[in-house]
Amino acid sequence: MTDYPILTVTTFLPFLGALVILFFGHERHTRWIALCTTLLTLAVSTPLYWSFEKSSSELQFIEMAEWIPNWNVSYGMGVDGISLPFIFLATVLSILCVGGSWTAVQTRTKEFYAVLLVAETAMVGLFAATNLFLFYIFWELMIVPLFLLIGVWGGPGRVYAAVKFLIFTLAGSVLMLVGMIALYHNCGTLDFKALTSFQLQPSFQVWLFVAFLAAFAVKVPMFPVHTWLPDAHTEAPTAGSVILAGILLKMGAYGFLRISLPILPEAVQIFLTPMLFISAVAIVYGAYVTLVQTDVKRLIAFSSISHMGFVTLGIFTLNQNGVEGAILQMINHGILSAGFFLCIGMIYERTHSREIKDYGGIGKVAPIYSSLLAFFCLAATGFPGLNAFVGEFLIISSAFQARVWLGVMAIWGVVLGTAYLVWLFYRMVMGKTNSGLESLQLELGIREVATLTPLVLLALCLGLYPELVLSYLRAPVAQLLAGGVTP
Amino acid sequence: MTLEWVHPGLLLIFGAWALPILKGRLRWYVLLLLPAVALIACFRMTPGIYGQVHFLGQDLVFGRVDQLSLVFSYVFSIMTLLGIIYALHVKQVAQHVTALTYAGGALGVTFAGDLLSLLLFWELMAISSVLFLWLRRKPNAVTAGFRYLLIHLLGGLLLLAGIVIQWSQTGLIIFEDMEVFSWSPAWILILLAFLINAAVPPLGAWLPDAYPEATVTGAVFMTAFTTKSSVYALIRGFAGTELLVWLGAIMAIYGVVYAVLENDARRLLAYHIISQVGYMVCGVGIGTSLALNGATAHAFAHILYKALLFMGAGAVLEMTHLRKLSDMGGLYRTMPITLGLYMVGAFAISAVPFFSGFVSKSMVVAAAGEAHLVWIFLMLTLASAGTFLHTGLKLPYYMFFGKDSGLRAEEPPRNMLVAMGLAALACVLIGVFPRLLYQHLPHSVYYVPYTLQHITSTLAMLGFTALGFFLLLKYLDPEPKISLDMDWFYRRGAEGAMKVIQGPLERLESRYVAESYECLIRSPMLGVAKLLRNFDTRVVDSTVLGLARLTQIFSQALKITASGNAQHYGLIMAVAVLALCALLVIRSS
Repeated sequence: MTDYPILTVTTFLPFLGALVILFFGHERHTRWIALCTTLLTLAVSTPLYWSFEKSSSELQFIEMAEWIPNWNVSYGMGVDGISLPFIFLATVLSILCVGGSWTAVQTRTKEFYAVLLVAETAMVGLFAATNLFLFYIFWELMIVPLFLLIGVWGGPGRVYAAVKFLIFTLAGSVLMLVGMIALYHNCGTLDFKALTSFQLQPSFQVWLFVAFLAAFAVKVPMFPVHTWLPDAHTEAPTAGSVILAGILLKMGAYGFLRISLPILPEAVQIFLTPMLFISAVAIVYGAYVTLVQTDVKRLIAFSSISHMGFVTLGIFTLNQNGVEGAILQMINHGILSAGFFLCIGMIYERTHSREIKDYGGIGKVAPIYSSLLAFFCLAATGFPGLNAFVGEFLIISSAFQARVWLGVMAIWGVVLGTAYLVWLFYRMVMGKTNSGLESLQLELGIREVATLTPLVLLALCLGLYPELVLSYLRAPVAQLLAGGVTP
Repeated sequence: MTLEWVHPGLLLIFGAWALPILKGRLRWYVLLLLPAVALIACFRMTPGIYGQVHFLGQDLVFGRVDQLSLVFSYVFSIMTLLGIIYALHVKQVAQHVTALTYAGGALGVTFAGDLLSLLLFWELMAISSVLFLWLRRKPNAVTAGFRYLLIHLLGGLLLLAGIVIQWSQTGLIIFEDMEVFSWSPAWILILLAFLINAAVPPLGAWLPDAYPEATVTGAVFMTAFTTKSSVYALIRGFAGTELLVWLGAIMAIYGVVYAVLENDARRLLAYHIISQVGYMVCGVGIGTSLALNGATAHAFAHILYKALLFMGAGAVLEMTHLRKLSDMGGLYRTMPITLGLYMVGAFAISAVPFFSGFVSKSMVVAAAGEAHLVWIFLMLTLASAGTFLHTGLKLPYYMFFGKDSGLRAEEPPRNMLVAMGLAALACVLIGVFPRLLYQHLPHSVYYVPYTLQHITSTLAMLGFTALGFFLLLKYLDPEPKISLDMDWFYRRGAEGAMKVIQGPLERLESRYVAESYECLIRSPMLGVAKLLRNFDTRVVDSTVLGLARLTQIFSQALKITASGNAQHYGLIMAVAVLALCALLVIRSS
């Protein structure tokens, strides 16, 4: 263990960086300060990974302080094997967001990087919180920077997209607030661990489940409340899309794992079949709608709906492989969607077009870019040996065990996924080079390659050696499933 | 992974990465060295289990070495070396990387002892081989490549689905004889995946679609690996499945019939691959040790002679840039060596005595006879005659002899001739000394190919086919000319027959089988996709927007009451008080 409060430092270091940028930073230096802050954050968090005890399902690196004694609310931080990979993902993606925005963001750079760093604080804090109160604070804090990122630095339709995003997420979290107050009244505590020991009335659990579901389903997003996502992803700047797809979507699924499954096991039992059903619908529906998108960013956004369908499917199979696969799938999707959005952002900077038909034949003018895009496409189709394969394999096999039709729909989702990705690649990279593209310098620079390389390496490592993540998950997932919920 | 065992496939796959870095001569040496080392590694291998890796709670076996995987690894590694020699003059380094990766994938499939590692190499083959089409950089090749990739990825996903079901139901992913799981969903899915790669009609339309569009050297590799690794997988997992007997026999005939219609040299040869693989699939279906030996031996021989034929046709394509038979002719004057070597391949595929096809194909046919499958026996024999007719007579006649097209193309580069010479040598060696091949087959061989009866019956059949060819030469002309003569009646009859073939049959192929992607996959998929997109924008999105609109209208209505003007509020209050008073008055009275 370490001498300093590692989780608090990791969480609030970016916030400190944001303050430095806002009050002392010069426009010219802001991106360097942001880069250093994010790198430093990753550096200070590293002891988390190697001194973590994988065989234990307990919370580790716990920090506790009195906060609001009247309400029995304390400031509690701690991680277990489920939250740790997400903290890693959040800190790594933040660095890449800075790298991807290096030249893309030209207006209000000070504010941009400050907002980005605040978002990092919210992301890390959310996954480190050990009580619902703190969880809720970070949950709401996350909305602010994302709203600003979309609304200020977004594309032409940014205001519409930002407001839509805000209304949806707020509507969801208001219900979560109601659920939280109800829980507090009943149990007198908001600590996750303490809450699991209460045996709540099934009818009460059902109401709570619905309240939390409203918040989580919007974030995931589950069908049919997904409709804010394509607009938000499409209009957001690259960094915003990366954070949205990479982390924000995972917050909802993480909520299921942290709150719904352990605290409301009987309600989960009751809602099991509907949840599985809408997950499977999201997979197939999302994939179909993806197939006919003409805007690259929108295409990837819709594919996220399909991929997150796999995640909720895996969670609600309530089986060790399924839940492990779901968490792994979240990490994988975070890596790959970040890769996609960074790729698209890089080429958008040059062409200022997101329409697929404006591309074509870029393989000839930008071979490195095309190979990287090919790699991400390949990984996302579930190519064996690359990361998404393992997660999907685990989820689909447990889906078959749960209900055969679920497995069939999941497989169909993979088939469609292959189709839209191959088709996308074909339309963008293959064929005749569009006349307008040759004069533009489409090939990537060193900074851009360096931004994408960590993602390629992560995708390779997790594909070849998924134990890197799975070994953290084994004990806590077993503990989670032993706590009352059965498939 | 243990050091005493080197995976030749991984050696090729990772070794290929070094090529782009190297320059000039050094690249050449490495290019030749890699397949040579792989070849030696295969021949030095002893049966056993190697390269076990723990993954997702399962033991993956990357090196299951037994008699069956050994014999396939021999021919795959020999073929890799020949193909690389044939392609040595190619400057585009990406093609070499593709070739080695693809060949490595085939070797990986051969040694895979479990379904997951099989899947890994299976997908790798699909992804790498499509580059042979895309690297040709012609619009046709690019679109054909796209279709090729989609169908193979679909095959890969069927395999994945089968594996997932197998794993979730039995907990096993070992790749062995699947007979105990007959007609279970997993069994069906895995078989379908194998049949797609084996180009069994109607799942095989990708083959004649893609191979003629590949690069000259790429096509040589493609003929060798995809279908044959699938034959290997069928032998391993589905030996004795009766369905395959009929599928195989139909394939054998199908390929020959469609070759009639072909004018494109490599497309004609591609149809013959389907026909030849039909023999192997049929052999797998029969499932006796003679039949399995036959399927294995035929795969071995076929890889070499088919590659030789594609090398010959590729050499002509490379030198003339023509692909239509009707544009060629008279090339024997300037390309005699190519002609000679091509003919060795043609004799081998036609099973002429003392060439390799004679000792391998007959095993399958004999096995059909031994199992008393009369119809199968007849179909295979008929297909045999058709094979000789097209690859042995028609193609060389129009390409090298026939009417003189005035082409004076030179012989291809020396490395191409060397590769063809080595392949031809192998065809003859196996034909003359069948023990060379027989001793490596998975079951012990008691079959004797060189009996008087076998030789005479084969020669008689070939002779009659040749006689028929020269008598009916006019009607086989790829570009029929009309010359009114006394043979008007014959011609009408022949024309009628050709019409049946070119009419309904051709329509079946071009409109349905070849377009099956369009009808079965693409349009329904896109149709549903468009429907759902409209649903998403019209229903899901507008519900939300409608709610917002309603809220807006509601607030607008409320706005009237909240004008912020004190006089209005006063007025409203006064009216309300009056109304209240009126109500009280009415109530009390």
